[in-house]
Amino acid sequence: MADNTSKHNAIPEKVVKVMIDDIFRKNNVNPEEVKNNVSNEQRQMLKDMVEDLREQVEQFNNGEKNKTKTDE
Amino acid sequence: MSHMTKTKWRALDHCDDNTRDQSDAAVVQNADQSVYNQQVSDEWIIIKDSQDVDVSTTDRQAAVSLQLGIEAAITAVINIAIADGTQSDGVTQDLRQMSKTRQGNRQKTIVEQSRDIEITTTDTDVAINIQLLFQVLAAIVAALDIL
Repeated sequence: MADNTSKHNAIPEKVVKVMIDDIFRKNNVNPEEVKNNVSNEQRQMLKDMVEDLREQVEQFNNGEKNKTKTDE
Repeated sequence: MSHMTKTKWRALDHCDDNTRDQSDAAVVQNADQSVYNQQVSDEWIIIKDSQDVDVSTTDRQAAVSLQLGIEAAITAVINIAIADGTQSDGVTQDLRQMSKTRQGNRQKTIVEQSRDIEITTTDTDVAINIQLLFQVLAAIVAALDIL
């Protein structure tokens, strides 16, 4: 499920975007140029990877808790 | 009752007066678990002289592996997209700096002389760190038009 994680963002999305753009600029990386370095196959692979992680983060946030009982 | 002089309630009193059906083995286990310390983190949950205590904490192990997974994903995206080694190293380093939040969780929970207690603790530092790392990953793939 590609649930919307934005409701519990650590910091606002826009702030992250600005910071990432700044890091790219500082290192002379032009996202528009760099885009072409990624093949369609790689694109799909990375997309799957990110979706997979999104799910895991969701699961973690939904409190997969570690339960312990003192008295068996 | 033989405990008339006692003013303090003790969870293990029942071992003497047999009001609860519990074997010696269980009592030994109670003692073993009187100090319960969660791995790796600075979180301490100390349970003394108590019974029927339920503890729920952040799964530190899962958190660490998730964090490593996201970090690896960020590095993979950067390395694939940015062919120039110097540039990609610089970006990765800057990203690390950005997502490095205060590590560690210092909380102490002490339960003493209690029964039927439920404890839930959340390691907010870890949760925020993971959320932030994922946001960084999402922002990068968005900037590179991967999603």
